[in-house]
Amino acid sequence: MIAIQILPRTDRGYKMNLSRNKYKLITMKNILIISFTFLVLLLTGIRCTKYPIDEDGLLITGRAECYVSNFELLNIDFQTVRSTSAVIDTIAQTIDVEVYWGTNLKKLWPQFSLVTDAKLDPKITDWVDFSNLTNPKQWTVISGNRKVKKTYTVNITVQAKP
Amino acid sequence: MLAIILFVSSCQEQEYSLPEANTHFQNDVIKRSIGPNVVGLNIEFVYAMALGLENGNILSAQVEASIPGAAGTFLEHRSYYTGPGGNDVGIDVANPSTTSGPVTEVVFTRDTCAAALRYYYIIPEEARGKSVSFTFSAEASTGETVSFKMGPYNIGKVEIKRDITLNDNDLRYFSIADMQVYDSTDAAAIPDKIDLVYLYRSISGINFNHALVAPGADPEFLPDIILPGGVDNPTKIRQTWQLRDEHLARLQYHIYIDDLDFEEIDLSSSSDYAINLRAESGAWVETADGNYRAFVYVNSVSNSGKTMKISVKRYTMN
Repeated sequence: MIAIQILPRTDRGYKMNLSRNKYKLITMKNILIISFTFLVLLLTGIRCTKYPIDEDGLLITGRAECYVSNFELLNIDFQTVRSTSAVIDTIAQTIDVEVYWGTNLKKLWPQFSLVTDAKLDPKITDWVDFSNLTNPKQWTVISGNRKVKKTYTVNITVQAKP
Repeated sequence: MLAIILFVSSCQEQEYSLPEANTHFQNDVIKRSIGPNVVGLNIEFVYAMALGLENGNILSAQVEASIPGAAGTFLEHRSYYTGPGGNDVGIDVANPSTTSGPVTEVVFTRDTCAAALRYYYIIPEEARGKSVSFTFSAEASTGETVSFKMGPYNIGKVEIKRDITLNDNDLRYFSIADMQVYDSTDAAAIPDKIDLVYLYRSISGINFNHALVAPGADPEFLPDIILPGGVDNPTKIRQTWQLRDEHLARLQYHIYIDDLDFEEIDLSSSSDYAINLRAESGAWVETADGNYRAFVYVNSVSNSGKTMKISVKRYTMN
């Protein structure tokens, strides 16, 4: 048996409004849930995207350039000891530096400027002893894609005393 | 409802009344000098004391140091205020201070209820490497006494000697142990004590100019110098720039070299010469026997006179 309740006009309108509002709420709720789920999935997707990182935590990029663009040599007071500009030969992979007469070569800090994304090996973490002029120090430049390696030799000469 | 309550309560007027000052006798101290405390220099304080205007006046003030100050220690008998031009204006409020052992005292002659007296403690030799503290106290006509403790302050081990002139004529042999410059005759008598040789050479093509060189350095750093017999200490020297120690330079930089700097500096791979020294440059020095470390500050140089004026801060190791 089906009981039909006939409501007054006003009540019917009220119930209809309620249903409509409820429908709106459900629709809004669904939209929010879907949006939130989509956002979570998107973030998860982003998070899971693997960018190549090397052993130093540096980004491996597509750059294959591999050279030293500038070189500086500082004393323990962080003053330059170069008497002239360093000559960088990217073909011969040499850096020729003349230092002032009287420079203490035992404790110097070399500074390399490298092409974008490249890195230096070994890293410079302390003062470097350049006093053995017959055995010049060497550093290897590694390109951004970590596939090209070029070893530079730093040749130090001391300004001649007249 | 809450908003209304807050609105109504926030609009309640409160009668303003002037805050009542504490009229009891009270005091306070600030330390004016900065930097490490070095024997021979002073530590400066300002001792302020006050009581209510109607209550009475100050009778006396005194400072007791845990180690008696050296000659020259005094408590100002003038109370200073800052004049319109920012200058200190002093008003006599007491007789000049008297010092008896560790206690320096002034007795007030002016009927005043407030004063700010400066205290200059000249650090004595006995305080070297120790700490010193101070008790400031004052007495008012009300019978009240107040006191304020300051410190302890550590006194450094460093020693200072300023404005020593070296010249390229002959007065070129400097001893860190004696903090004194000698000529070749005197240097020959104490060769073990000679740590630095001063010379000025204008050599085209290189920057030599004013130099401090270890007697034991390569002779190419001592051109035309004939050292007295036995003068050959391989002193370690590290040239440095922009280290203008306030005690030595007396300029505007307020940089201080302290005991800790001497203790921690590593001069093991330093050279044995400092060339091309200029005014406001300097050199860290370690004597060959390792007994002393020093910082030599170049106050001025004269190319024409071939002279160099230096000030030295020395630290005795061990």
